[in-house]
Amino acid sequence: MEEKVLIIIPAYNEEESILNTYKTILEYNQTHTRQLSTIVINDGSKDKTEQILIENKIPHIQLIHNLGIGGAVQTGYKYAYENDFDIAIQFDGDGQHDITFVDALVAPIENGNANMTIGSRFVEGSTSEFKSTKARQMGIRMISGFIKFFTKVKLYDVTSGFRAIDKSLIKEFSMNYPTEYPEPISTTRVLKHGKKVAEVPVKMNERQGGTSSIHSWKNAYYMINVLMSIINIGIWRD
Amino acid sequence: MPFNLRFAIFIVACVLAFTVMRILHKDMIPVKYSLLWWIAIIILVVLALWPDFFLFFVNLLRFQTTSNMVIGVFIVILIFITMSLTVIVSSQKNKINLLIQEVSMLKQEIKDKSND
Repeated sequence: MEEKVLIIIPAYNEEESILNTYKTILEYNQTHTRQLSTIVINDGSKDKTEQILIENKIPHIQLIHNLGIGGAVQTGYKYAYENDFDIAIQFDGDGQHDITFVDALVAPIENGNANMTIGSRFVEGSTSEFKSTKARQMGIRMISGFIKFFTKVKLYDVTSGFRAIDKSLIKEFSMNYPTEYPEPISTTRVLKHGKKVAEVPVKMNERQGGTSSIHSWKNAYYMINVLMSIINIGIWRD
Repeated sequence: MPFNLRFAIFIVACVLAFTVMRILHKDMIPVKYSLLWWIAIIILVVLALWPDFFLFFVNLLRFQTTSNMVIGVFIVILIFITMSLTVIVSSQKNKINLLIQEVSMLKQEIKDKSND
């Protein structure tokens, strides 16, 4: 039986790219037997995102107030849980991610080899030319080192927002998901709970529009928060 | 401790107690959030009426004057009150998050149904 797959797209002021992103998913559905459902979570955008979503009949939930990336994605997981999806994929609305890698991302979950897969720029086989800035790569390496230290699992692209999770994690995330800096923190929790996480090489593009939710002046603050969260999860036994 | 200081502390304790009672009476806070404040008030009253009560601790911890210890004790109480506020605010934030998510999902469902 074909697994029910949901693409969750958190969107905050993505008027320039959201329609193109959605079109790539429609194209995927036309050329594949696997049919992807989509839900865009409009995180209180101030631009024309909502208008575009309505005009093009894109399935979406408009949050009545801005929640930030964690709260938005969690809304998607709640939707996935309530509608009984088997696999949920977090996917950026800014054109950074490539929908054709969904099969690669879903395969380890379908085979039972992983509960969570991360689309990675840094593992062998990634053809991604876009690898982010040097400073950010260093930050990512540091987070990766911390996660390895506390969970004994080496992951490379720990901040990647292109991720798939299975049914058990959909349930878990729908109830409990970090509101801030969700990717590395939730990954650490998942590993701590003894679930399997696999990295899958993907290609990422530079963002088409919008601005990254991580601004340069916030980088140090981001790192301190993420590293302390990992330590806090790491030192306690479950 | 000089009488003037004890008198001032007593007045402050009375004003604090009166304020907390009024806030409680107006249902602005539940009793559980006032407990930390009552502890602070009790310490103040004891200090004002029986300053010798704390003399043991003043000597034990080598405070130079009782009033130094008063300040020290209050810093600790205030830290605890601030910490409990942080906890309360965070749990409120989680609940608001949950509400925004659930209301948004419901609202969308209603909108989608009325469009069909």
